[in-house]
Amino acid sequence: MAVASRPSPIAWLLAPALLLFVLFFVLPFGVMAMMSFYSGNPVTNPNAFLTTRHYERFIFDTAGIFHDALWSTLRIGLITTVVSLLIGYPLAHWMARMQSRLGHALVLMAVIAPMLTGIVVRTFAWMTILQDKGVINTLLIDWGIVSKPLPLMYNEFGTVVALVHIYVPFMVLTLTGVIGRIDERLEQAARSLGAGRLRAFVEVTLPLSLPGILAGSLLVFALSISAYVTPSLMGGTDVLTLPMLIAQQVGTSFNPNFAGALGVVLLLVSLAIVVAYNRILARLSGEQGLA
Amino acid sequence: MISRRTLLGTSAVAAATLAAPSILHAQAKTLKITTWGGKWGEIMKATVLPAFEKEFKCTVSADQAFPYVPKLQASPKNDPLYDVLHTNSNEQWNCFTEGLVMQKITAKEAPNVADVYPWAVSDKIVGVAIFTSAIGLGFRTDKGLAKPTSWKDLADPKLAGARGSYIIPVNSLGQCHLMMLGKIYGKGLQDLDAAYKALEQLKPIKLVDFTGQMEKMLLSGEVSMGVIHDSGVYRYDGQNQPVDFASPSEGVMALEQVLNVTPGSKVKELAFGYIDYMLRPDTQKLLAEGVWYSPANKKVKLDAKYDAKLLTTEAKVATLIQPDWKWYNARKEDIDARVTKILKG
Repeated sequence: MAVASRPSPIAWLLAPALLLFVLFFVLPFGVMAMMSFYSGNPVTNPNAFLTTRHYERFIFDTAGIFHDALWSTLRIGLITTVVSLLIGYPLAHWMARMQSRLGHALVLMAVIAPMLTGIVVRTFAWMTILQDKGVINTLLIDWGIVSKPLPLMYNEFGTVVALVHIYVPFMVLTLTGVIGRIDERLEQAARSLGAGRLRAFVEVTLPLSLPGILAGSLLVFALSISAYVTPSLMGGTDVLTLPMLIAQQVGTSFNPNFAGALGVVLLLVSLAIVVAYNRILARLSGEQGLA
Repeated sequence: MISRRTLLGTSAVAAATLAAPSILHAQAKTLKITTWGGKWGEIMKATVLPAFEKEFKCTVSADQAFPYVPKLQASPKNDPLYDVLHTNSNEQWNCFTEGLVMQKITAKEAPNVADVYPWAVSDKIVGVAIFTSAIGLGFRTDKGLAKPTSWKDLADPKLAGARGSYIIPVNSLGQCHLMMLGKIYGKGLQDLDAAYKALEQLKPIKLVDFTGQMEKMLLSGEVSMGVIHDSGVYRYDGQNQPVDFASPSEGVMALEQVLNVTPGSKVKELAFGYIDYMLRPDTQKLLAEGVWYSPANKKVKLDAKYDAKLLTTEAKVATLIQPDWKWYNARKEDIDARVTKILKG
């Protein structure tokens, strides 16, 4: 008689996480996706009917703003990710190789410190620094270096600066763990075989840290493309992203169905980019399925 | 062990309660409302709502987490999330179109409605307005600017990059400003082509998404002149800030605070009672002087300082221009797209 297989205890430990995932991601996303195919709220409006008009509205974009908003969202996400990686990687490498425990703890605290204040507060802090009457422009004008304020805010530049500040810790913390697990002796072996410091890094450390680069980049990219507060406050009239449009549709146009369609579009496009990025990095590192 | 006396006493109370369900019902009544935060919310929570709860023997559940309309939309019409919806007029019109609120609150439901200025119950209002602010121009007094007398003063080339307004798709003050541009430069509030052309001429302009941010921009000198409601400037009265408010000669736009009842409310009488309470002269005076809003009730006598600046006479009230939000909301999506393209870049 066959014995029924029982789920392992580990599977039971995963249950709370799975439940949370279903309750707070799968279910809301399912409702949002369903709403995006209705003309109204089918729960409160018996006349609501199935339709694809919200997707048609996005695809044909007669208003001429939706495709721009999507491209703007992805561009800001990509730039923020690349800049965060360029800033975060050297810092993470330095932290991972630091011998002093005290030094490591101090740097770690410095990296984490920005995360202890809210995003709104941090964004307002950047506004006081970058606005026309802000710290930088006031100093530059007072010192006679420029005659009129530099356009540091109310544009993509200011938005990316604030987003990078907010999301660099995520990149650093992800990379530090991965780089810390790379055996330093591999790099030393490469150098003892004649490779210079740069070559040893490029051919040994960098490929081995690709999983960290992938994880950190995906995290920062996902957070950047879904950012709402920072682009709203820092972008002025120059920046319009999909999360801003979604908030407009829900909060002021009271059209949750079209907002749902925009949410689905953003998720699908992001997933496509993530899959492509994963494949490219896997090919570069000679492995398959890094993520 | 329960004594005979305790048992009899408890039984008597239980019997009385069961025999008078209305008492039990009255004690359990909860009125669900929306209300603003900030200074308004402080006065409401500290004074107005406790007094209302005491007088009407109920509890009030006040939601201050804006936006309210999407939450109301998501709740069943026969068991709405709110009994009384407090928003600006544009949102009330959205709700009315969707059948989420009543069309009018009359003196029959709330007797104090009989004493309000005509603007509070005009054909531009659904529900009843309890206060209004005047949307005009805020300006810095330390930049050598003459006090603006016309909406056209905002287009002064000297103010390039130092003038401010709102992100039109998300802020009703920005929407009012757009309509006002149609009136000033075109044939009227609904002349959108003239408004778009005038908006283009206002570039470069700093746009924000809420009035609190405009207050900060004015106070920090980031903008020298901007569209704002009088309350947003007068609230700094006595704080020695170099800002003032100007009512342009063409008129000021109304930013009404509107109350309305949801048709599916289970405590409609209490909801009407709340609206009536908010229109009482003493409640109106307390809130008007607390946040510098012009009261809707004609019988309110404000202290001289407030009376001098707020819209408290028939003559001053005549300068108010009320937008047709039904008209605006019907074409909001097109307007949003157009102004976004105009202002981008």
